[in-house]
Amino acid sequence: MKPDNTADALRMEVRSWLHEHLPRQWRKAMTGCDQEAFVRAQREWFYKLAAAGYATPHWPQGWPGGGRPLAEQKIIYEEVARADAPRLILYFVSLYHAACTILEWGTQEQKQLYLPRILKGEVWCQGFSEPNAGSDLASLKTRAERKGDRYVINGQKTWSTMAQYADRCLLLARSGKSDPPQGGLSYFLLDLRSKGVSVRPIAQITGDDEFAEIFFDDVEIPVENRIGADGEGWAVAQSTLSSERGLTLVELTQRMRYALPRIVATMREQGLIDDGARRRELGELIPKVHAACALADRYLLKRISGEEAPGDASVVKLYYSRVLREFVSLGMRCGGLSAQFQEDFTRGGGQETGNWPVDFMNSYNWSIAGGSDEVQRNIISERLLRMPREPRNWQLSGERS
Amino acid sequence: MSQALNELRDSARQVLGKLGLAADENQTWPLLVELGWLLVALPEDDGGLEQGLAGAVAFHTELGRGLAAAPYASALLAIDAVQHAEFAQRQSFLERFTAAEYVAAPMAASHLDLRRDGSRLLLTGGVAALESADRATHLLLSSQDDRCVALVPTRQPGLSLRARNTWDPSRRLFEAQLQDVPLDPALLLAQGEAAQLLCRRLRSLRELSLAADAVGGAAAALTMTVEYLQTRRQFGRPLALFQALKHRCADLCALSVAAEAQLADTVSRYETRLAEPDGELAAKTARQLACSVYARVAEEALQLHGGIGMTSEHACHRFLKRALLDEQLGLPAAQAACDIAGAFIAAC
Repeated sequence: MKPDNTADALRMEVRSWLHEHLPRQWRKAMTGCDQEAFVRAQREWFYKLAAAGYATPHWPQGWPGGGRPLAEQKIIYEEVARADAPRLILYFVSLYHAACTILEWGTQEQKQLYLPRILKGEVWCQGFSEPNAGSDLASLKTRAERKGDRYVINGQKTWSTMAQYADRCLLLARSGKSDPPQGGLSYFLLDLRSKGVSVRPIAQITGDDEFAEIFFDDVEIPVENRIGADGEGWAVAQSTLSSERGLTLVELTQRMRYALPRIVATMREQGLIDDGARRRELGELIPKVHAACALADRYLLKRISGEEAPGDASVVKLYYSRVLREFVSLGMRCGGLSAQFQEDFTRGGGQETGNWPVDFMNSYNWSIAGGSDEVQRNIISERLLRMPREPRNWQLSGERS
Repeated sequence: MSQALNELRDSARQVLGKLGLAADENQTWPLLVELGWLLVALPEDDGGLEQGLAGAVAFHTELGRGLAAAPYASALLAIDAVQHAEFAQRQSFLERFTAAEYVAAPMAASHLDLRRDGSRLLLTGGVAALESADRATHLLLSSQDDRCVALVPTRQPGLSLRARNTWDPSRRLFEAQLQDVPLDPALLLAQGEAAQLLCRRLRSLRELSLAADAVGGAAAALTMTVEYLQTRRQFGRPLALFQALKHRCADLCALSVAAEAQLADTVSRYETRLAEPDGELAAKTARQLACSVYARVAEEALQLHGGIGMTSEHACHRFLKRALLDEQLGLPAAQAACDIAGAFIAAC
């Protein structure tokens, strides 16, 4: 690769912008605050980033901030991680899932209607998973019944991040019968203020409620708010799920690397800085954290050069989630008994905030959400290692088919 | 990886594939010398293939993949030392050491004291883990304090070699004992600060060669295991259909790929800093991960092969034994972990 002056210039530009605009002491302000305060802070941070063009580098040319190649997007993410800026959790679905889906599949009218509103701060949430359709997403049961120029939605979605603060929802629902089940799905852009929608936050093991359930009771959606053709929802959903293109894992692995000193801080607090066993565990963790960074980096470079192979993304995600668990487990062990007491936690601070029990509990987000470790292992073994797929027909003895 | 290196690597893989996993040193070593693999990292001016560290690492990886029984890592260390030293016979030694002669460099820490006796420098102490030392014309040795690096002729009074039977059949290790062995001034490669830098560079290279060996070995052991699971049938189906086994392979795959990515990243970032403390630390870090991954993959590979993996004719044990030896060569794993943590804590 030739030494790239544009890349260095961008890196310096982003770095100094972050230095100037990053809210001072934001970790302190976000520690122990309630969710309303967090949402306000997220909005403020989003407006700053959006105004500078750093919220939408992945949007096409012509949109504010858009038209940056993947390599430059990577630089922005690396710098955001380096500066320890807040993670933009509230807007992730809007900026990536919603925007990329609409850009790829939306009509001209849909693009003109929704994208400018995203830039103005409209919050989207994702309505894919259901209580009985998690890893097996295609088995989802929420119905979309066509009635004239509208669809009528009935059913339930779950694990929808920050849905209680969302304006709109990316909704995947069953509009027809089909075998395989992927065939009968349609994809909608739903206004969450529609009649018949109710959102209920889910109390999580951390005591927080970042996720919500969404219930649909005869909710009407105009046909023009369907995206893609009727029955084409599965293909549209694939665009949604691949929209962040490995950038998130670049950011997360870099953040993990920059967070390693938090383990050392805990060792110091607990008088363990000279403890041989903990030092050795730290020495075994550091290479894994570096490897996770190298892996995420290489995956993104492969995407840039079009060399990505099926299963590559799963390797990165599985490795990250396992190393993250080891990271926060070591934090727990260093914390000892003190990590058994409840302390205020930091919102938007990433996966390794130093509040180890909360970090530990949250680490399950990465081994379960977005395709659980077990699903990633299936993908790696079947697509990358080319081991045979699970047989589709099975029957337990004593169970009638 | 450059086009040229890609081609070199592919041809190495082919050659080693033909030799087979059980080929011995008498088959492998003359062949790789003849094919010019010792020239891989040398610049064109020195008659080399100009592939640098990435080239050396690619070959170490292929030799690891093929369980090659040849003291290649050790030979490259000596060639690198001569290349980076300033001494009169540099050019002629480079030619000799890349062709007919072999110099053994220690693959583990040595304990040698340097004593001055009048105008003479004398070395005394023990060296462990010299590969194929009976084949060597010289040993590449350094004093405990890193202040002196020299070539020491193998056959001379005061220097004795003892062959140790390693469990790993692909490596023949020797111990050397030295009692007041005088250093030939014409064979001194570096002294003082220059020697310290050279020692650090050589340690970095040694760690990276072990990391690369591990990356190649882990990948090959996993491929072999997946192929076996696809062929072996029990309960009326291929073992590869059982999710319990697929998931273990997937985990091993993620570990192997991560170690490989980490090694490649280290090579690209630190090639020019191997003689500096951060370069050595990066090499240790890459090696720590790669060797622990190799050991894990090789252990699992044998288990996943079942009974056949316990037989001497199957290659499982060869991977396992090489992996376990790799972990103990260079800087032992436990020591590396403590060093990595220590350096990190000191910088916090």
